[in-house]
Amino acid sequence: MKKLLRTAAVAAAVTLTLAACGSGGGNPAANVSPTGEIKPRQISWLLSRPADGAVINIMKKVADEYAQTHPGFSLNLITTPDRPSYIQKYETLAAANKLPELFDTDATPFAQQLAKKGTMVDAEKLLKDLGVYDSYRTNALNYQRFDDGSLYMIPFQFELEYFWYNKALFQQAGVSVPKSLDDIPAMCTALRKAGITPLALDGQDQWPLERYVSYQPFRDAGPDFVQKLKKGDAKFSDATGQKTVNWISQLGGASCFQDGFSSQGYSDAQNLFTSGKAAMYNIGTWELSSLATDKLNPAVRNDVDYFTLPATPSSATAANEYVATSGIGMAVNSKTFDPLVSDFLKFALAKYPSEYAATGALSPTTNVQTTIPANATPLYKKAIDQAKDLGSKLAMPWDTQLDPTTNSRLQQELVLLAQGNVKPAEFTSTMDSTIAQNAPKFFK
Amino acid sequence: MLPNRSRLSVLVFLLPPLLLYGVAVLFPILQSLFLSFFSWNGISDMEFVGLANYVHMLTGDGVFWRSFFNALGYLAICLVLQLGGALFVASLLTSLRRGAGIIKTLYLLPAVISTVAIAFLFVRIYSIDPVGLLNQVLGWIGLGGLERPWLSDVNTVLAAVSAPEGWRFTGLYMLIIYAALLAVPQELEEAARLDGANQWQMFTKIRFPYIRPVWITTTIMATTYGLRGFDIPYLMTNGGPGQSSELLTTYMYKTAFTSTDFGYASTISVFIVVECLVAVGFILLMLKRKADA
Repeated sequence: MKKLLRTAAVAAAVTLTLAACGSGGGNPAANVSPTGEIKPRQISWLLSRPADGAVINIMKKVADEYAQTHPGFSLNLITTPDRPSYIQKYETLAAANKLPELFDTDATPFAQQLAKKGTMVDAEKLLKDLGVYDSYRTNALNYQRFDDGSLYMIPFQFELEYFWYNKALFQQAGVSVPKSLDDIPAMCTALRKAGITPLALDGQDQWPLERYVSYQPFRDAGPDFVQKLKKGDAKFSDATGQKTVNWISQLGGASCFQDGFSSQGYSDAQNLFTSGKAAMYNIGTWELSSLATDKLNPAVRNDVDYFTLPATPSSATAANEYVATSGIGMAVNSKTFDPLVSDFLKFALAKYPSEYAATGALSPTTNVQTTIPANATPLYKKAIDQAKDLGSKLAMPWDTQLDPTTNSRLQQELVLLAQGNVKPAEFTSTMDSTIAQNAPKFFK
Repeated sequence: MLPNRSRLSVLVFLLPPLLLYGVAVLFPILQSLFLSFFSWNGISDMEFVGLANYVHMLTGDGVFWRSFFNALGYLAICLVLQLGGALFVASLLTSLRRGAGIIKTLYLLPAVISTVAIAFLFVRIYSIDPVGLLNQVLGWIGLGGLERPWLSDVNTVLAAVSAPEGWRFTGLYMLIIYAALLAVPQELEEAARLDGANQWQMFTKIRFPYIRPVWITTTIMATTYGLRGFDIPYLMTNGGPGQSSELLTTYMYKTAFTSTDFGYASTISVFIVVECLVAVGFILLMLKRKADA
């Protein structure tokens, strides 16, 4: 027994030592102009983006160009497109204080704690120092900001989220584009009566359903509601909270989502809409090549259109304000930030926007024009041009706002609410107590 | 009895694996035990909270208890499919004169398929839209009323995620039990047959008592594997809908890597270790008592 206790004590001491090593700080985050010689070496970027996507392809190309004038330099891209696996890797490396030079992160409470510890370079100061700050879209930067307005992530995308719909199916069911969010449950009932699945939803990934819970509060009380809710200063039992809870329950009651949606994935939802079985599909402009080019099924190609998040004149936010994200951001590790990383970023960020816009995507900067692909339908340009008329308030996805435990529970409970497995009152009580229990740990 | 020199040699050769076992198994368990007394998100300073994590787990966390009971249900289904199925198939195989090799291979096949492939395969089998194999078969045999989204229905999801795990390892346990059944002495069986024993009596009085040590081993293996079940439920439903298929292992994983609450996750992992030890002790006790009876 004595031996066992001694072993436990040794283990405890080792763990404490490891923990102490892991909590070491880095260089001051504010130092954005490191001085000294540029010594080429390999730098790494831990990222959560599609391996064959535009961002990675362009950055590979840019890194190769940079290496031509800086022999010995290379960019090691560590890709983990699956978000949950990525988060596990990212958080484990953060705990071990082993994050690479560059790493992806959303503006989550966890990332904010990392920033507070001085792990990340201040992106606002860095972009200003590199002379590119003013070229960024205000909304693209705002999406990356923490609650206190500080900016620690650099955006590489800009995407607008719409409700894509099938005009022929709407006509078949005798419904029209909803004037307010409250119209949608009745539309679902009419569509179901006509044998049509109203909304295609990727339930497996959970964030798509979580978008829906954010819509009513954004229209009813503006973007501040979630800021208060996540800290426990607002509740689901408040009038605004109840409005969204009851709305989700109504969506479920009217069978708005496809049967068995909770176990269906991204491609299932997309196929449902593009095959003409579902009438609506809520997704961002990153899907433009599937929804507004000749890749789209010819049977539905001319019937697809979109509408933005419905708003009424009494809404707290305007019709041109809805979900506009600049994707997962890239943070710069302050511990490994040196003249080489700074110089490479200066080179890459100057080259990136034009290369990215040439792929037909919306750049996070305003200094380039998106190239409309040759195989695009007229809808493509319409969707891209919508970015010119965008209000200043952003509907923030709640999965980047809430503390992780509350977020997980909300995602789970939303499925039950939308399936009719729990009543609105039960959902309200569960979520309010979850927030009360977990928010204080994150938002002290 | 080994001479002193040989005993020393054995000890010398046993030491490296023992050290490896200590580093790979015992040390992480002790580390988890230590961490379970702290509140720590990986990046902040560790805060000593004493037994608070244990108190919260046992008295204030509804999801933990839901996961615990789900894990027991998952275990029960896995054991019935794995051990029951294995015993049944192995018994049938012993009376087969031809084709036993092919059947053994077919049953063993799922054990070598990757977990991810199995999870995706069963997601498709259970699907309602597009209609999957299970719902199609139900429709063909006139049981269309039972068609449902098996993984989205809170009443069926636990059984639905347990079945692939049971299906996967039936072949493995079948092989072990089959090998044990083959080792039953023919003279014993012949003697029993001469005494007039029927097939059931032959099985319950001769064969099963003879393979009891193997049965205990397979039961312990299947139970501990079942209690540690993680990948298939996680990949198929991520514990959902709600917490309907949440197991202690998936809950522990999420607590650590989604909620970044490493202290509380360690508390749950300590519980899982204790639970496995209790389960093994319970099995040994039960089977020993039966053997003594």
